[in-house]
Amino acid sequence: MSAKPRATGPGTQTGNVIRDSAMGLVPETVSHIIALNGSVWRDSLVTPSLLEIVRLRNARTVNCVICRSVRYDVARQDGLTEDRADMVADGYEQSALTTREKAALTLADSYLGFPAGVNADAAKQITGEFSEAEIASLLVALMNFNISSRTAVSIGGMPENPLPIMEVSLAIAAD
Amino acid sequence: MTETLSSVNLDAALSKGGAAAAGLTRLWESLWQQDHVPPALLELCRLNFARLYNDTAELGAAMPYLPTDAVTADRRQAVIEGKAHDSALFSEAEKAALFFAEYYWMDAQSITDEAADAVKAHFGEPGLVLLIEALGCIDARIRTARCLRDMAAFAPAMEATYVR
Repeated sequence: MSAKPRATGPGTQTGNVIRDSAMGLVPETVSHIIALNGSVWRDSLVTPSLLEIVRLRNARTVNCVICRSVRYDVARQDGLTEDRADMVADGYEQSALTTREKAALTLADSYLGFPAGVNADAAKQITGEFSEAEIASLLVALMNFNISSRTAVSIGGMPENPLPIMEVSLAIAAD
Repeated sequence: MTETLSSVNLDAALSKGGAAAAGLTRLWESLWQQDHVPPALLELCRLNFARLYNDTAELGAAMPYLPTDAVTADRRQAVIEGKAHDSALFSEAEKAALFFAEYYWMDAQSITDEAADAVKAHFGEPGLVLLIEALGCIDARIRTARCLRDMAAFAPAMEATYVR
């Protein structure tokens, strides 16, 4: 992982962390990226705390140091505690997470696998907890989180050591 | 006639997910309407991922936003056979992007500064950022299509939705 940024931001100070990052160098896409992140948190068919659990699983798998340290305010307001966030670690199957949360993590792991894929047991677990619309919504959220975190890692400049947990307002990463 | 789900035709299946799915489609469309990296090169990167995944559905798909002659048959075949790096059919800029894509596919953490610098030498920093965003979207869509195809196979009630 490169500690040196491979691209630097446009030098703007709009207050939006995405627009002011290197992604701001591409005006054709940055507004869509910001709008998508906002829409995922506001319009998804599952709760913000469930989204955060899935986002943190992605952050762990991609090993995005910043993504791992972030907690979205909307997820905390929805009731996600740090104790529950810690349960997203490997071995979550035996944790106190709910059946629905575990099914969401199974979907996340299926998506994040190398290669991606859903086996028969996972399909049964996922469809037993979520409607087709909720599965589509979760996958859109996963795609958003995965694209963002891998973009951050690829651009470089990521700290090597874990950062303290920091709460982030959705307002600085959405439209 | 059935059309197997792949990265290029995923949006209808995801539209059940509500407004955010429409936002994802808008981001996808924007990648093919920019001037930083030629869209035909993004299609070559998609085919490179399809080869690396050995994903039959993806290998058989073609990006509908591009003219049918945007990627010639011989260039398409060279990427699918993994011969692009040694082929005179590809420019140095295209080879740099395809090489970068292979690092990205393996693991974003594995990308070397040299591979990133080679992309920047041809496309600049905005081009590198656009390429990274595009690779993320392409890979995410391939992953999602694979998951939905599997779900359709194991959960037949979903088949009508996800295998059109």
